[in-house]
Amino acid sequence: MHIMEGFLPATWAVVWWLVALPCLAWGIIQLKRLIETDREALPLLGVTGGFIFILSALKLPSVTGSCSHPTGTGLSTVCFGPWITSVVCAVVLLFQSLFLAHGGLSTMGANTVSMGVVGPLVGYGIYRALKNTKVNMFITVFLVCAFADLFTYVTTSLQLALAYPAEVGGVFSSFTVFLGIFAVTQIPLAIIEGVILALVFKYIVQLKPEILVRLGVFPEARVMAAHRGFANAA
Amino acid sequence: MLRKYWFEILAAVAIVVFVGVFLATAVLNPDAEFGGSDGEGSGVISEITGIPEEDFEPLVPQWEPPSGEIESGLFALLAAIGGIVVGYGFGQWRGQRKDAPAPVSETARDINV
Repeated sequence: MHIMEGFLPATWAVVWWLVALPCLAWGIIQLKRLIETDREALPLLGVTGGFIFILSALKLPSVTGSCSHPTGTGLSTVCFGPWITSVVCAVVLLFQSLFLAHGGLSTMGANTVSMGVVGPLVGYGIYRALKNTKVNMFITVFLVCAFADLFTYVTTSLQLALAYPAEVGGVFSSFTVFLGIFAVTQIPLAIIEGVILALVFKYIVQLKPEILVRLGVFPEARVMAAHRGFANAA
Repeated sequence: MLRKYWFEILAAVAIVVFVGVFLATAVLNPDAEFGGSDGEGSGVISEITGIPEEDFEPLVPQWEPPSGEIESGLFALLAAIGGIVVGYGFGQWRGQRKDAPAPVSETARDINV
């Protein structure tokens, strides 16, 4: 999903930075408040943020014969919401643009919006819709992670289509072409990412269900029931 | 075993299928280069605009890793930082559980070991 440095016209680079900055500012305020008020949440922040570092460092092969990055943002979105997730993404994207030439400083705004804002927001919408329903928690986490990943790439496709409309067919036609590259490649990656992060969520439920209850991630009765289920199976 | 690790087994199956799909793609499509989709996106931009890829100048000067080795090393560093932080978080929780009075099932498991 990295738009490479120089591949976004200056106007669009500025536009996406202007979208990204307020999201990051709000995320930093939320993060600061969390760190000051709840030291117990720090390990969870480390675990969920750490997986963004790990998964976005991997480039995985796909059915289209090309490679792409998972994003790892879903777990953080479920636990802390989209804005804190944006901040972690921005740190990763900064590292990648400074040291890896993956994305660049001018396109970092656009990349932060796709990976750190729109993807997590779509995931957060799914989470809020399913949180208090009977849908299994782990299936919810799977869906959030898979769709946050997939919609990151749908957003990149849209960003590129807006900047580079086709001569025939305009933005829509370009969007289809970019979707063909990014979103199709991403489908298997999104599925595997969802499975892995749902498994990580199992370990959080096993080891520290209290923190999920305290942050109100899922209703207490369901978290503790799942925790006891895993303990009894042992 | 199946009851305790069903989730791990499911994840392992998913990973095996994922690798299987990769191998099948590689065999069925010998032209697949498995290059980055980021680069392919830039290729399409070049096609749409008719401007050769090398003519896209960085708006902000950018350092590029001088070789694939250095790039993969830096990617490994990024993943390692993540791994250390994840391990620290899980380790702290694990330590807290050990100090707490163990639930019956945990005690039983320790004795079995």
